[in-house]
Amino acid sequence: MIELENITKKFPGADSFSVDRISFRVNEGNICVFLGPSGCGKTTILRMINRLEEPSSGNIFVNGKNVLEVDPSGLRQSMGYVIQQIGLLPHRTIEQNVGLVPELLGWEADKTRKRVRELLEVMGLKPDEVVRKYPHQLSGGQMQRVGVARAMAADPPIMLMDEPFGAVDPIVRIRLQDEFLSLQQKFQKTICFVTHDINEAIKMGDYLIILNQGRLIQMGSPIDVLTSPADEFVLSLIGEDRGVKILDLTRCETLMEPMRETPDDLMGSGCFVQSIQPVKLALEVMMKKDSDHVAVCREEKVIGLLSWKNIKKHINRVSGEDE
Amino acid sequence: MSFDPGLFMKAMSHQAPPYILEHLNLVLIPMGIAILIALPTGIVITRPGYRHLSPRIMAVFNAGQTIPPLAVIAIFFPFLGLGYGPAILALTIYALMPIARNTITGISTVPEDIKEAARGMGMTSWQVLRRVELPLSVPAIMSGIKTSAVLTVSTAVLAALVGGKGMGAIIFAGINFFQPELILAGTIYIGAMAVFIERFIVLMEWLLSPAHLKG
Repeated sequence: MIELENITKKFPGADSFSVDRISFRVNEGNICVFLGPSGCGKTTILRMINRLEEPSSGNIFVNGKNVLEVDPSGLRQSMGYVIQQIGLLPHRTIEQNVGLVPELLGWEADKTRKRVRELLEVMGLKPDEVVRKYPHQLSGGQMQRVGVARAMAADPPIMLMDEPFGAVDPIVRIRLQDEFLSLQQKFQKTICFVTHDINEAIKMGDYLIILNQGRLIQMGSPIDVLTSPADEFVLSLIGEDRGVKILDLTRCETLMEPMRETPDDLMGSGCFVQSIQPVKLALEVMMKKDSDHVAVCREEKVIGLLSWKNIKKHINRVSGEDE
Repeated sequence: MSFDPGLFMKAMSHQAPPYILEHLNLVLIPMGIAILIALPTGIVITRPGYRHLSPRIMAVFNAGQTIPPLAVIAIFFPFLGLGYGPAILALTIYALMPIARNTITGISTVPEDIKEAARGMGMTSWQVLRRVELPLSVPAIMSGIKTSAVLTVSTAVLAALVGGKGMGAIIFAGINFFQPELILAGTIYIGAMAVFIERFIVLMEWLLSPAHLKG
């Protein structure tokens, strides 16, 4: 668990606070996303958690321990750290790069070697192909994967990630995000994740912390933020397509009308979705099949009917607009 | 002035060789001292606490390099007098600058994100210096040492003017006694030494270079 208590940061020579009296808590096993425009203080907050920056005032507790009272190097070795520029050491092989923290911790060479191979595999790289290579011999996507593998090498319970998928093209980014989320299902790390991309924030975050000019504007789950943005700033950050984004986070079962009998025509024509799939997908099916409603199934069984009217009503309700 | 091949052969085989060792001393001793001073200085100046000083110190080094070597010897002559010691001192000062300059440039051009990641992984600042900054600066530092060494081989000729011996002695003897054979022989040995030392440093540079640049 990570807890920030009234943290402020003012850089020498700056006339305003980069981080202004911020308090929040990140629970174990959660991904907490810091979201905001550049200069909002999100990276500074992240860097204060592993003491790459020192707060001007306030306290930071990690698992109950005040980080300002522990040795910074040891603290950093106990947290995974991933940055957008990756920062692999160019003169070290991939094996040495990933094994960096174990090396600093004094692991035996054999144990490190095994761990490195295991991690590269987890990150979707072929160990035999890459271990002897140097970073400049890899593609951007491969380097990002190595960067994440390096951060996870000593199995830290906490990961700090500063736009970790920011340096790759959108297609690779989406794949890396998906892979990372499925890894997270398994490993349940406590993660602080910095991004300026609202879509990435909604996708990755269990919890969003929205910042502007050093101040905390809103925190809450993605759906909370989308359905009740705190102010104009959050609204502009979310963008015009708020309704569609909400539909991406809403399951079909929450908007359907329960129904027992099977509408054969819908099932027969393939006009159905699974109950846990997002409403956005139901819209896609409706458009493709040119239908006003879809059947909602749980596995093989039909449990309800989702109509265009229901969806519209929902959008209008959450956007606070009248029908 | 005529050229006597017999005299030239004699200069090449008998008169010049005794000066080789003397001249090498005039190169190696100042280079050794210069490296011992310039390398740590360059490292200290690039540490966070002193980094703000480095542009000014670089400016001093750059200016120092523009003073002709003869002038360096001339400047120190009134204080230190004549002889071997003053020659060594002047050559050391001259040799310092390219090494310090390249050390500073080398270390300060290690990309920020690499140092940031290294610190973020939990390396102490000493480990970052030892395992990241220095290895990545080797090419720049070695090229500074190379420049400095080649420069010192030729500048050391002037040591003879203040009684510092070396290959300069035979060259200036040739000038004073109108014997171009001596000048040519001395110059050939100077050139050979410069090439030899340069090659040696290139080899060292390759041996010390970071692994990913060896290809």
